[in-house]
Amino acid sequence: MSSVIETRGLKKRFGRVRALDGLDLTVASGEVHGFLGPNGAGKSTTIRVLLGLYRPSGGTATVFGQNPWSDAVALHRRIAYVPGDVSLWPNLSGGEAIDLLCRLRGGTLDAAAYRDRRAHLVDAFQLDPTKKGRTYSKGNRQKVALIAALAAPVDLFILDEPTSGLDPLMDAVFRRELQAATSEGATVLLSSHILSEVEHLCDRVSIIRAGRTVETGTLAQLRHLTRTEVAFASTGLTDADLAGLAARIPAAHDLVLGNGTPRAGIPRAGTARVSFTADSDALPEVLPVLADLRVQGLTVAPPSLETLFLRHYREDAPSPAPSTGPLP
Amino acid sequence: MNALWPLLRLRIHRDRVQLPIWIAVFFGLAALVVFAVDSSFGTSIERQALMRIAVGSPTILIFRGEPQGADVDAVAFFLIFAFLATLVAFMSTFLAVRHTRAEEESGRFELIAATPAGRLIPLLATALHGIVAALAAGLAVALGLLAGGLDGAGSTTTGGAVAGTGIAFLGVGLLAGQVMHTSRGANGLGAALIGLAYTLRAFGDAGGTASADGLSMSSAWPSWLSPIGWGQQTEAFTTNRPAPLALDLALAAVLFAVVVLLQSRRDLGTSLIGERPGPQHAPRTLSGSLGLAWRLQRAPMIGWALAGLVFGVLAGTLGETVVELVQSSAQVGEALARMAGGRASIIDLFTDTIFGLVGVIAAAAATQAMIRLRQEEANGSAELLLALPLRRGRWIFDYLLVGTVSIALVLLGAAGGAAAGLASSSEVAGTADTTARVASAAASGVAQAPAALLVLAIAALLVAFVPRLSTGLSWGVLFVSAFIGEFGELFGLPDWLLNLSPFTHTPTIGAADVDSSGAWWMLGLALAGAVAAGVGIRRRDLAL
Repeated sequence: MSSVIETRGLKKRFGRVRALDGLDLTVASGEVHGFLGPNGAGKSTTIRVLLGLYRPSGGTATVFGQNPWSDAVALHRRIAYVPGDVSLWPNLSGGEAIDLLCRLRGGTLDAAAYRDRRAHLVDAFQLDPTKKGRTYSKGNRQKVALIAALAAPVDLFILDEPTSGLDPLMDAVFRRELQAATSEGATVLLSSHILSEVEHLCDRVSIIRAGRTVETGTLAQLRHLTRTEVAFASTGLTDADLAGLAARIPAAHDLVLGNGTPRAGIPRAGTARVSFTADSDALPEVLPVLADLRVQGLTVAPPSLETLFLRHYREDAPSPAPSTGPLP
Repeated sequence: MNALWPLLRLRIHRDRVQLPIWIAVFFGLAALVVFAVDSSFGTSIERQALMRIAVGSPTILIFRGEPQGADVDAVAFFLIFAFLATLVAFMSTFLAVRHTRAEEESGRFELIAATPAGRLIPLLATALHGIVAALAAGLAVALGLLAGGLDGAGSTTTGGAVAGTGIAFLGVGLLAGQVMHTSRGANGLGAALIGLAYTLRAFGDAGGTASADGLSMSSAWPSWLSPIGWGQQTEAFTTNRPAPLALDLALAAVLFAVVVLLQSRRDLGTSLIGERPGPQHAPRTLSGSLGLAWRLQRAPMIGWALAGLVFGVLAGTLGETVVELVQSSAQVGEALARMAGGRASIIDLFTDTIFGLVGVIAAAAATQAMIRLRQEEANGSAELLLALPLRRGRWIFDYLLVGTVSIALVLLGAAGGAAAGLASSSEVAGTADTTARVASAAASGVAQAPAALLVLAIAALLVAFVPRLSTGLSWGVLFVSAFIGEFGELFGLPDWLLNLSPFTHTPTIGAADVDSSGAWWMLGLALAGAVAAGVGIRRRDLAL
């Protein structure tokens, strides 16, 4: 698979602020790529570099093998963009804004197809296209930009938190319409904070923090990076049983015995609990031991993306270790 | 009520730069008018000549006021009051809209109204703030006149009249904020009502009855329908009667009561005149950045062209009056000749002088068109546009084009107005002279284009190279250039400073030999500037 977006060591400085500090991003053709990171990590800056709105201070960036800064106009014929915070023209109606944006992109050349598609989307998103730009709520402005992006076929969608402000119903419409667009072979770069959206839509994910990529891979690969949480009640177990636990389960990490320091999130009303985390692929070795102990109240929490993201999003998280870098 | 003081302080804080500038302008104008009367019409005979002509020419009365004798102070009041009153009216309506409808439009009012301040306390804070501002403007006028050497009673009356007008239009602005859905619409309605008030008193003054000595008049009834007229009826420096100001306060009280009633009954975000729905589909013309630029600037462009038309009519109809004025006072003639910079037909020179102002209006229209591009960038809609296959050079070129069309429309309006004015003027109508005058007016119009185009190109350069500063700098360049162009010679500024302003290089139509080399230079520079701006905007980041 050839890559549609490719950045290597991308840097962008604003005065003394390093918005991007060596960002690597590869988006393969036809994939839906989740682009995640805490606020201020550099997601929107990256997107603006990819759109030729910002000129990089260092490193390289290519889109469809072309330079996004110098070949902007040619590239933009193949790209649809939805910004995170859509500003419309106050005295243009939503319908006018949609038509203007699509005409500028050249997406209205097939007039009949455009008309049908636009009518379908206006209906699906339940947008009133006669309202003036200034009277739309945030969600409705977002819908205008989404309809303009989806109304004509393109090769690449760049979506910066496209569903912020949409209700869950419209969220579902968006997912459906985007999947319809990608089934025709379009590539998507989707910046988002909504993990369910990412799980639902994305093939691969890149997590960035402080202007650098800290994690890239498929969702399955990323899940491997998180551990499964295992907990059970300690009633009926002898101290010896418990003491031997660490030795019997070499895969266990962060072992907390029932009388140890309390941990948040573990209910301990009446009875003490034992908890530990295990590498997800080590789980088969753990289960026989637990069965042997005849543990009660067993809970096994699957690896959640949330844990992974929280680990990377937290301010005090250690700097990205090179060893966990991009997976193959 | 605990919320009142913080809200009032917030308003004062937000206007901490803007209001002092307004107030300094009021002081400066009041102080300067005394100086201007003294220097242009120094003797009693000159002033009597001036006032006799004024009493006899409705066109002058329309733009000035109610003549009240030929003393320096009365002449100063006659010349300046309508202008000061119009200014304070704009200050007050803009202030009222800025702190009410604009806040509601932006969503900030919702935040405030959700606090214990509720819906009415912010309104009260705006009213108090506006009253304080109007009183400050009045005080500045009174102090300015005193500084010019006029007596205390008349100065106080004038200041009071300015403050009264300001308070009356504060009510007008607050009402406009209830009626219209957007701050732009409310400001437009406010400006239209100011125009109405000005026109009513213009009719009243033009249709007034002259006194036996031909130096004073008493205005006709339409003046009494206008807050600006009420201010004039205080007859400051002659009778000094404050009674008409009670009408200002009464109007303000009634309007404020209506506004409170409306505000306490209506929903958030609604207005008396609601938002009309727009079309479902874009018209064919709205299919590119030129169509968009045209659409965004269409309404302001019409306004600027109308302003050009008004000045054109003024130039066309006032010509004869000026000839009379010049024949009655050698010094005035010299002053006019000095302003126009040559010794040719006085009417042509006068027309050309007025067209100098038209040139400034054209440049302002063009600057606004270019600043619109910057606003598109700053408010984020340009991000949507520039992510499309739109060349940035093309983008700025489209706004340059709309700016050029704005200039053309203003100049065309002015030339048309001048032609209509000359044709309707009784003495020269239908003669070969009229044709020559109209041709001269048209030439004056064309002559303004290069300077306006250069100002447009400078604005484009600023947008391309210093986007974040460009709005303020562009208007600053225009203001300073216009000031140097209009008043530079009068104030005896050095040549190098005069040469900096595009407007001083505009050819003087009507002068003995017309020197148009400056015009060609400016056209060349404007073209070079436009090209440089087109290159520059491609080389920079989007500046939000």
